[in-house]
Amino acid sequence: MNGLSKLLSLAALAWGFAAPALAQTPITIGYQLPLTGTQSQYGEVFRNSAVMQLEKLNAAGGVGGRKVEILFEDSKSDPKEAVAIARKFVDDKRIIAVLGDFASGPSMAAGEVYGKEGMAQLSQTASHPDFLKVSNWQFRNITTQAQEGPFNARWMHGAGIKTVAVIGLQNDWGLSATGEFAKEFEKLGGKVVATELFNPGTRDFRAILTKVSQRKPEAVYLAMFYEEGALMLQQARQLSLAARIHSASPFYAPKLVELAGPAANGVFISSTFVAESTAPNVKAFVEEYKKRYGSEPNQFAAQAFDAVGIMFEAIKRAGPNATRAQMRDALAATADYPGVTGTTTFDKQSREPAKVLSRMEIQAGKFVVLR
Amino acid sequence: MDATVFLQQLVNGLSIGLVYALVAIGFTLIFGVLNVVNFAHGEVFTVGAFGGLLVITMLAPPLWVVLLLVLLIGGFSGFALERLAFRPFRRFADEASLKSKAMREATLLSSLAVSIIVRELLELKFSGEMQTIPQSFLLQSPIALGPVLITDGNLVIFGSSALMLGALQYILFRTRVGMAIRAVSNNVLGAQFVGIDTNRTIIATFVVGSLMGGIAGIMVGLYQGAIFPHMGFEPGIKAFVAMVMGGLSSPGGAVICALIIGVSETFATQFVSDGWKALVSYGFLLLTLWFFPSGIFATRKEKM
Repeated sequence: MNGLSKLLSLAALAWGFAAPALAQTPITIGYQLPLTGTQSQYGEVFRNSAVMQLEKLNAAGGVGGRKVEILFEDSKSDPKEAVAIARKFVDDKRIIAVLGDFASGPSMAAGEVYGKEGMAQLSQTASHPDFLKVSNWQFRNITTQAQEGPFNARWMHGAGIKTVAVIGLQNDWGLSATGEFAKEFEKLGGKVVATELFNPGTRDFRAILTKVSQRKPEAVYLAMFYEEGALMLQQARQLSLAARIHSASPFYAPKLVELAGPAANGVFISSTFVAESTAPNVKAFVEEYKKRYGSEPNQFAAQAFDAVGIMFEAIKRAGPNATRAQMRDALAATADYPGVTGTTTFDKQSREPAKVLSRMEIQAGKFVVLR
Repeated sequence: MDATVFLQQLVNGLSIGLVYALVAIGFTLIFGVLNVVNFAHGEVFTVGAFGGLLVITMLAPPLWVVLLLVLLIGGFSGFALERLAFRPFRRFADEASLKSKAMREATLLSSLAVSIIVRELLELKFSGEMQTIPQSFLLQSPIALGPVLITDGNLVIFGSSALMLGALQYILFRTRVGMAIRAVSNNVLGAQFVGIDTNRTIIATFVVGSLMGGIAGIMVGLYQGAIFPHMGFEPGIKAFVAMVMGGLSSPGGAVICALIIGVSETFATQFVSDGWKALVSYGFLLLTLWFFPSGIFATRKEKM
């Protein structure tokens, strides 16, 4: 009921924009994302960003005189739902390309359908190394853990850390995040003294933290998202864990500091998006997002904002009457897209996006970029 | 493993177990009276947490006032839940419908429906993400007992579960309402024959069970630092396992089993890995069902 009513209201919204060009049918994009369920907080920010891009594009006249519309479908971040939506999108002749899903698992499950039926799929967040290997129709606007894990491993090793414990989510993403990090860290000569994985939905980490601190690592690498991360940081502080804490871009969210309070101070993270950046496009994005939704955009919002932007650029290149195959080629040709998560180019061979990572530290409740 | 780590993990495990126990008390009470699982109990827990958070953000009173107000919120949500999901299926008081399994099982679905509606409404209003809790209200200040670290939350949760279990025993065995609850739980028709108002007794059971569920919600929320619409699901499942292990309608048995589950989960993390801990609780459930089909602490039905 919830998902449907949201869908209807958005359809109504899109209709409102489409009204002046009633004679013209809109160019339609599908977007599958979790709008209900335990990961709806991520889907919500994706939709926020998508609506911003959509309104901007349609206010400027759409593409070739035709408006663009996005059909949002709630996948609940469930692979079964994701596949059902993929079938629905593939059968919908109006849809020329698809955005989403959120987590790597559902994205890859849906990707099988898109690969077989020939529909380009651009995920804002699926960072599992195998996502692009599903077929030639997959794209993503996120650095993979194969890039981010080794980046953090080199950073920590460079800071003189010799022993590290890794704590991560037990899912496709978490396994690749912990694995890619550990591989590079051990290659550099460091030692991984403990690897602990937990199931999504865990809220009490005291048992894991007690076990990890027994091995006395100099640093802990957290491969998880900001909500579990905030709980982990609070409980680590309560158990007086004496180790430097590092994490990756999913930690870059104002909500992390809000939830964890002083426990977040001193945590090091890597990120592509920097809200404090002085670049004019980032500033404009952050200001408008704040004005519309009353909160600062996080990494996920920025990721989706750029993914939708890349999709729209591809539509412009492919023209208003593009086929699904033309959309795929247009996406593959993405080069130097000036996004808020940095300039993005899709690699000609691997289709991987190349992005620059920044180093940050949380100091007194603020994300501070380290030079 | 040295003694300090062992003690610390024991404390960690007992505090997780107490969280499950708090939920299980209300669960078993309602099961005892109606012989049916109340699937919305996890949402009563969530409503207690959100209600408490609203009280905190709007009034910022001392903790004990928050807990008292949450008792009211929990009790009221139990009353409302009974009205919405259970009463409509008890319209007929004749013997056939009282014994009808279909009527009873219908409430299984109606309580599930209420739980889904409540969860989605909360999500619509507050969004699915974890709510920000004012730092000063978090029950996470460390307290050192020798080498072992506990928090003030452990003390609050331990103290109030002991208090609640004591109060429950008092209510059940020393008051008229408690006698009525036990009588209805033993035999509905018999209770009616001796002039007990079964409807009122059932309402009383829901109010008592839910005020415990509600207060568990806010305490666990403040202890874990996590209040969000789906928070009731996991403790609800574990409390259900504890209830089945403990013998379905024995609150004391459920508490002991909840503690056993919490401690064994923690040691599963210590010795194997966290990903395997769910296997421990469900493994226990299977073993119990095989060897003690009516629960470890099942008492023979008392004759009244």
